[in-house]
Amino acid sequence: MEDTPALLPSLLIAVAAGAGAWLLRRSWQGKTQQTGLVAAGWLLIAAATILPAWLLGPARGPFIALAIVSTAALAIVAANYSVRQAKARAARESLAPEPSDRATTKWRETLRWLLAGPIGMIAAMGVGIAYAALVPGEQQTRLVVGGMIVPVIWGGCMAWTLADNRILRATAVLTGVAIVSFTAAIVKGFA
Amino acid sequence: MTTATKPPKPAKKKDLMSRIPAGFVRAVLRGHSSLGLAFAALIYLICLSGSIAVFAHEFQRWESAAGPHITEASPDAVQTAFAGAIAAGGAGVEHVYITLPSADFPRLLLHVDADTDREFLADAAGKIAPGQDFAWTEFITRLHINLHLPVTWGIFLVGLIGVALLSSLISGILAHPRIFRDAFHLRLGGSKRLQEADLHNRLGVWALPFHIFISLTGAFLGLTTIIVGVLGMAMFNGDANKVYALFFPPPPVDDPRPAPVLDLRPMYAKLPQDGGRITYIFTEHPTERGGAALFNVKQPDRMAGTDSYAFRRDASIYNAQKAADNNLGEDLLGGMGQLHFGWFGGGIVKIIYFALGLALTYLAASGVNIWLARRRDKGRPAPRWERAWAATVWGQPAGMAAAAVAGLAAISTPVAIGAWLVVSLLFLLAAIRLSTESLSRIGRLATGALTLLAVAVHLGLRDGLAAADPMAWIVNLVLVAGGVLLLIPRLGAQKRPVEPAAATA
Repeated sequence: MEDTPALLPSLLIAVAAGAGAWLLRRSWQGKTQQTGLVAAGWLLIAAATILPAWLLGPARGPFIALAIVSTAALAIVAANYSVRQAKARAARESLAPEPSDRATTKWRETLRWLLAGPIGMIAAMGVGIAYAALVPGEQQTRLVVGGMIVPVIWGGCMAWTLADNRILRATAVLTGVAIVSFTAAIVKGFA
Repeated sequence: MTTATKPPKPAKKKDLMSRIPAGFVRAVLRGHSSLGLAFAALIYLICLSGSIAVFAHEFQRWESAAGPHITEASPDAVQTAFAGAIAAGGAGVEHVYITLPSADFPRLLLHVDADTDREFLADAAGKIAPGQDFAWTEFITRLHINLHLPVTWGIFLVGLIGVALLSSLISGILAHPRIFRDAFHLRLGGSKRLQEADLHNRLGVWALPFHIFISLTGAFLGLTTIIVGVLGMAMFNGDANKVYALFFPPPPVDDPRPAPVLDLRPMYAKLPQDGGRITYIFTEHPTERGGAALFNVKQPDRMAGTDSYAFRRDASIYNAQKAADNNLGEDLLGGMGQLHFGWFGGGIVKIIYFALGLALTYLAASGVNIWLARRRDKGRPAPRWERAWAATVWGQPAGMAAAAVAGLAAISTPVAIGAWLVVSLLFLLAAIRLSTESLSRIGRLATGALTLLAVAVHLGLRDGLAAADPMAWIVNLVLVAGGVLLLIPRLGAQKRPVEPAAATA
C-alpha cells in the first residue's frame, strides 16, 4: 500500500496557512496591533500544521505541513513587495544594528575559535552523552535524543562564544561543562 | 481628599524581541557575521547541492531513461535478476543490495558489492542490463554528503557545517529585534544592502522551521560516526559496535563455505501480508552457507515506517522488527534521512524542499553580499572579496552543470567530479581579472548554456528521445526552461510603482 497522496491536502494546508499569514500581515502592518487578528492568524497556522497528522500520518502530516506553511507565508510576503527608488545616502543614516567593533588580539581570536570549534564540540558531546547515561527511558531514545542534543548545544556554544566579549568566562563554563558531564556519564555508565 | 491628577500615559508595549538590548544585538551580530563569513562558501555549496539532491530519484530515472521501466517485480523476477547480477558481478561478491520498484523510482536496481562494485537494472522478467548510468546523480549526492572527500572526513565536515548553520540560525534570530515588525516587509530596488537584508531576513524567518530541521538532521547524520565513536569509548569500553547493535539486527553467523545463490522466494512467502510494500532487500554473502537476507517493508503514512525481517539461508526468520513497535528513538532515527532529503510526501514536498533549499542557499550568498555592501557603504570596499564571492556563487552552478554534461557523456562519476573542479577553478582564476558584474554575467550564461547542453547530450547520447519513462521528459523540459531563463537577461524586472525609500537600512 502506498502513502496517502499529499497533493490535495497540501493545497488545503497552503490556503489555511496563507490566510493565517495574511491575517498576521494585516495586523502587524497596521498602526495598532489587533489582537484578534493575530490570534486568528496563529490559530489558522497552528491548525494547518497539526490537523494533517490525522490525514497524512502522525509525523508525516505535520512535517509536510511545516514545509508548506513556510512556503505559503513567503508567498504572502512576496506578493506584497514594494519597489523603492535608489537614493544616495550616507552610511551614518542607517538605523539597522551594526555588528559590534570590539578590540581583540590574535590569541583571543584563536581562543574564541577554539571555543566555538573543538572545545564547544567536546562540551556538547559531554552533555549529549550525559543525557544518554543519566536520563531514564528506553536506551535507543536516550541515545538518539542525546545525539540530537549535541549539534544543538554545539551550535549554541558557537553562537555564544563568537558573540561574548568575556572570553575567559566562556572558557571556564565550557571546560567545566565538559569535565562534569563526561565524569557524570562515565561514573553512572550506560544501562 | 483627592487631587485630580491625570494618570500617566501607559508606555507602548514592546514585543519580546524588541526588548533585547542593542549592545547584545550588536555582539550577536558580530558572531553571526564571523561565523557566516568563515563558512559561507561551504554552506552555500552544501545547500545548493542538497537542493538538487532532493530530486536524486528523478535524476536516476532521467539518467536511465533507456533502462527498463517497471512498476512491479514478482519474486521470480527478483530472484532471476539477483542470480543474473551475481553471475555478471564478477569475483568476490560480498553483498547485493536490491532496490525494488516504487512509484517514486520505477526501476529494479541491483548493486553488487564485489571486488569491483557494479550496478544493474532488470526488466519485469528479471533479465538484467548494465545500469552503471548514474554518474551525475552519484556526483551531486556525494558532493552533498561528503564533498567528494574521504568519506569519514567528508561526512564529519558536512556535519560541522550543519552545526555552523544551526548556530547561524540561533544568532540570526537573536540579532533580529524587529522580527515581528518587519515580518512582511520586502523592499526591492533602492539600496542593495536593504534589498539583500530584507530578502535575507524574510527567507530566514518564515522558513525557519525548515531551516532548523534541515540543519539539525544534517548535523546529526554527519556527526553520527564521531558521536557513536566517543560514546563507545566513554561507555562501551571502546566498542562502538555495541551502540549500533541497539538499532540494527545482528549480522548472520558467518559460514564461508560455498553454496548456491541464496533463494529469496521462500523468504517472500513468509513475509506478513499486512499492507506493507517491500522496498529493499539487503543480502549478505549470497553465495556462502552463511548467507542471509534482510527485507525492508514500508508501511504507509509513517515517516519511520519500515518493518524489517532478517532471514537465514533456509528462510527461517532470525530477527523481525515492526515499525509499529518502535520506541521514540527508533522512530526519530528511522525518519531522519527522509526528513532531511524530503522523500516522504511525493512530488509536491520535493518541489517545496527544492524551493526552500534554494532559499537557504540564498541565505548563505546574501549574508556575504550584505557584509560586502556594508563595507562599500562605509567607504571600505573589498573588491577582491567581491570578485571571489561572485566567482564562488556563479562558479558552483556552472560547475555542477558542467558535471552533468561530462557525467552524461562519459558515464563516469570521476569525470563529472573533474569537470566540476575545472570549472570551479576557472571561475576562481577569472576572479583575478574580471569584474564582479562580468563574473556574474558569464556565470549565469555558462550555467544556462551548460544546462541546455546537458539536455542535448541526454537526447543525443543517452536515448533521451526514446525514453519510456515520462520523468525523463519532465526533467528535460524543466532543465530547458531553467537554462533558457538563465540565458534571458533581466527577466522579471520592476513591475510595481516606485515608492520613496524609507530611511531605514
